Amino acid sequence: MAEMWISMGPQHPMTHGLWTLKVKVDGETITDADPELGYLHRSVEKMGERRKYFMNTTLTDRLCYASSTTWTHNYVLSVEELMNVEVPTRAQYIRTIMLEIQRLASHLMWAGAYMPDLGHITGALYFWRDRELFLNLLELPSGSRLLYNYIRIGGVKRDLPDGFEQKTERILSLFEQRLDEYADLFENSKIFRMRTEDVGKFTASQAMNMGITGPNLRGCGVKHDLRVEDTYEIYEEVDWNVSTREAGPGYSDCFSRYMVRIDEMRESVKIIRDCFKKMPKGPTMSSRVPVRASGEAFRRTEDSRGEALMYLVGDGSDRPYRWKIKSPMFTTISACPHYLKGYKVADIPAIMGSIDICIGETDK
Amino acid sequence: MNFKELQKQLKAMEGVSKLSLVRDNVIKIDLERSTSKDFFIKMKEECYFEHCSLITAIDNQPNFELVYHLSCLSGELKVGDTKMAAMLEVHVNLERDSPSIDSVSDLWFGANWHEREAFDLMGIYFIGHPDLRRVLLPEGFAGHPLRKDYVYEIHEEEW
Repeated sequence: MAEMWISMGPQHPMTHGLWTLKVKVDGETITDADPELGYLHRSVEKMGERRKYFMNTTLTDRLCYASSTTWTHNYVLSVEELMNVEVPTRAQYIRTIMLEIQRLASHLMWAGAYMPDLGHITGALYFWRDRELFLNLLELPSGSRLLYNYIRIGGVKRDLPDGFEQKTERILSLFEQRLDEYADLFENSKIFRMRTEDVGKFTASQAMNMGITGPNLRGCGVKHDLRVEDTYEIYEEVDWNVSTREAGPGYSDCFSRYMVRIDEMRESVKIIRDCFKKMPKGPTMSSRVPVRASGEAFRRTEDSRGEALMYLVGDGSDRPYRWKIKSPMFTTISACPHYLKGYKVADIPAIMGSIDICIGETDK
Repeated sequence: MNFKELQKQLKAMEGVSKLSLVRDNVIKIDLERSTSKDFFIKMKEECYFEHCSLITAIDNQPNFELVYHLSCLSGELKVGDTKMAAMLEVHVNLERDSPSIDSVSDLWFGANWHEREAFDLMGIYFIGHPDLRRVLLPEGFAGHPLRKDYVYEIHEEEW
């Protein structure tokens, strides 16, 4: 049968944002793919060069609407490295709590978006119902629902409001029951497993070479988590484990990538609880925050989607000379011809959904 | 392999200069453009840097600078007794007249789009890249907007 190119996107339910996936098919089988980006390019790096360091946190919030705290945090951490700012311990604890609540919200957003990809509309409603709980929690200290601008250079905007711990604890214990509910609904569902098992396989060494990091790599059984391996804030002092899954020896499929995120949510719950237990009293903002910076610095953090890295060069003025953003999804999407090849067209939503795409950060 | 051994090896290598430690687990070096390809092959094949985190292009008027961030994800490269993952930061200077360097996308597939992005936004040419097209900006866009001498003009196009 003759091969032909099919264009999926930029407005296709599978794409989760604006991008085009051109697939070359032979009958129903994919033989090649060519992803195209750029529909959402807002030139964040160029805009950042014209704004002062502290102004850029509004831009980093908008890198990814599903996970804005983690991106702002990465930027703030890099700037602090550049300016040698010491952050008070309480602020570090608050940051960790906010990061983990954001990770929960982001993973729930992903899971909710993944289910309709597989034709399971009810799944979206279950996950997004619970995501709303965590968005409410993030709203309490920051005042907004999606774009928080809560983590600032030198600390956080303000201390946690009264009763935040009790509210969080109530939601976390409810959420733990919900996680067991998901196990019955999805993991033990034969249809869900038929759609995801043995689909979209790649090995650990392939993944590292292709630039796939984060939950997608941990789904191959690699115990790599930047919260441990390039530790920041207070992840060292908190009691938690890196969760890994594998579909077989050293490779992942859609199901293992789903499961590793569910495991991570359980770990996030543990981290938040432990943070509240160990959190000291004290200031939440550094007393000395410079405006100008020179030199260069970078920090890596574990974003909800993988390795996030921001590289900053300062020339002594109050604006960055060069600001480079590494998005984990940028390289993961670039590698999609490798892990799509050989599967059927109907598997594309299952595979591309399982890697958790966010086009906002990818297109910058 | 140990992180200290790696530092010794790097010091002895051709084209490497100004070795320093950024943090406990990050080495920073300067590299000659002409020996870059051999160096990267060695880093990947022998020194366990199986992941290319980022390629940044900087316009240091007049010249360009490329910064490679390589990292070890498998834990084969030990940093003392810690769990820290090792990283290598490589700086390469490029002449403004001919901003080109050998592509590393055949070594790390993940470098493929980073190189395309550096070409797209900064106009760096990667010799031997399989598919050096624009990635974020549309085809037919004139100029490379992250260069410091790029002049932004408002184009009014007729519909």
